[in-house]
Amino acid sequence: MADAPEGSSQETQETRETRERPSAPPERPSAPPAGPPDRPSATGTTTTSLFVMAHVRWADVWTRAVILPAWRRAGAIWVGCAIAAALIFGPTGMHPEDLTGLALHHAGVGAALGVTWLLVYVPTARLLLRAEAAAYLRTLPGPRFAPLLIGGGAFVVGQLPWLALWVIGEGPRGLAVVALESLAILALASFRPPAAHAGWPRWKHDGEALRAIHLRALRRRAGDALVRGAGLAVLAGAAAGLFVRNNALTGQAAAAVGAAVIAVLLVPAYVGVLLVILGAHRQTAWLAETLGIAPGTRVAALVFAIAVVQLGASAIALAAAALVAEPDGRTLAWLAAVTLGCALGSSLGSARALLGSQASETVAARAVVGAIVVAAAAVLCLGLLGAAGAIALCAAGLGAALTARA
Amino acid sequence: MSVLEALPRDPLARIDQLAVRRGGRTVIEGVSLAVDPGEIVGVVGKNGCGKSTLLGCVAGVLAPRDGRITVDGASVWGARRERVAARRALGYVPEGADPPGFLLGGELWALCAASRGAGPPSAELRAALGLDELRATALERMSLGQRRRACLGAAFIGPPKLLVLDEPDNGLDAKRLDALVALVRAHAADGGACLLASHDAALLDQLGARVHAMPDRPAG
Repeated sequence: MADAPEGSSQETQETRETRERPSAPPERPSAPPAGPPDRPSATGTTTTSLFVMAHVRWADVWTRAVILPAWRRAGAIWVGCAIAAALIFGPTGMHPEDLTGLALHHAGVGAALGVTWLLVYVPTARLLLRAEAAAYLRTLPGPRFAPLLIGGGAFVVGQLPWLALWVIGEGPRGLAVVALESLAILALASFRPPAAHAGWPRWKHDGEALRAIHLRALRRRAGDALVRGAGLAVLAGAAAGLFVRNNALTGQAAAAVGAAVIAVLLVPAYVGVLLVILGAHRQTAWLAETLGIAPGTRVAALVFAIAVVQLGASAIALAAAALVAEPDGRTLAWLAAVTLGCALGSSLGSARALLGSQASETVAARAVVGAIVVAAAAVLCLGLLGAAGAIALCAAGLGAALTARA
Repeated sequence: MSVLEALPRDPLARIDQLAVRRGGRTVIEGVSLAVDPGEIVGVVGKNGCGKSTLLGCVAGVLAPRDGRITVDGASVWGARRERVAARRALGYVPEGADPPGFLLGGELWALCAASRGAGPPSAELRAALGLDELRATALERMSLGQRRRACLGAAFIGPPKLLVLDEPDNGLDAKRLDALVALVRAHAADGGACLLASHDAALLDQLGARVHAMPDRPAG
């Protein structure tokens, strides 16, 4: 999971590349010749070998233009899965069959697991299905079957961690689960939401306008990162739930441990999105300057956008933790209060870290380090003060945010 | 001429002994300029002489090293309250016309309207610049001319007293250029003022602009 920021930056790079590249498509392969094969050409090469060579070239171009970008994203997921597997199957002593069995017999765990993979893998599947390069290549007179075969193979190979979990855990029954989930992934990846009718926004003042603009940047620039983040948030919540459940924790102790686990595991869920928010903040800088928008208003808009992301991710994680741990009402209330409190404190701290590093050339790396430091501060506060650590984190975050310069 | 008309008016914008350094080099040194209400001033000069820098400083985007700029009596680079007052009295179109690309045209105008406490662009402005067709288009999907029109629409919302337009004719077709000339002249006739940079002598002629020639870039 620790690779998510890389994946996110990769994602933005890919998005940029695909946006900038439509007019410079990949090398155009020669179309496979029609007509009967095996007729020797003037140079002595048979038309069969030309036919095969054309298909090989076509497959090569398709792989470089469509499959590799999707696999770069899948690679990040694999690393994340490896870390999650180490967490789930390491300290808790669980085996794949324990998890898959739990998922099949416990609706909450099953839903959490299924939704996590769905959200994590849909962006990769969307790249395989709807890459701009693929749209261009489909307009060329190339083979139809080969791309389908390559894309299908890549779709299955990209799901290897999920496939391995279910085949090891359940055997042939697991294959059926993977097939069903794949259908859901394909349906979701193929879905194109209708373009919303853009009306004239009625913002009352500049603060409201800037907050809305930051949220629009999230929606338009970080869609895939948000979907992936939601998946990672489910995973973080499930891990927190397992910690609480397996250690039979209740009340404030459960809240402190659960919130600490969520704070750490949420870092890869939101860190990629932070850079999108910072991008919006920087792009609106000159407009804000010339419109006379106060620096404090700009900082507040940035904090608002980060808080929306972190509170949203924490709420998803909380729901997953509740499904897995099945806590009593009092424990759930504590868990909710401490987790959301930590999310608020982390938002303030992350905003400070982000603004402090915005002028740096290594802003992406510094944003990741900042998010990790904030998560470590959350763990420290919760470890030292228990549930009250959430209040301390909020106070520290507020103090840090007040020193931030737009 | 009435007595009131004969009295000297305070300039709407005043630039006193402006000095700007960018990247360790002096770009502008000792530039002074006043723009009266109802006046259109065209800043001309060679490439790199500091026209865009001057306009950026007036618009509050580039901080000067020395000198003072006031708009409507408030200092653009003064204390916080003055800064806000000065900047809300001006509308700026940068040379690159590069607001955030993810914004739709309508959202850019809504931001400017919210900041200036104004309503949406008037029907006349929308018709003159063809803004309706840009309302739901993302700025990154627009051509340079369309982006320029979107930015001009944003600058005219309010309208602010001073328009600061950097190469406003770049990318505009003949029809929109005529519309721009009419809008700027009407703005000046209503008591507003305009400070613009352009290489197009014909445009400055059409606008009836007073020409301010920038000196060549000072050494060092």
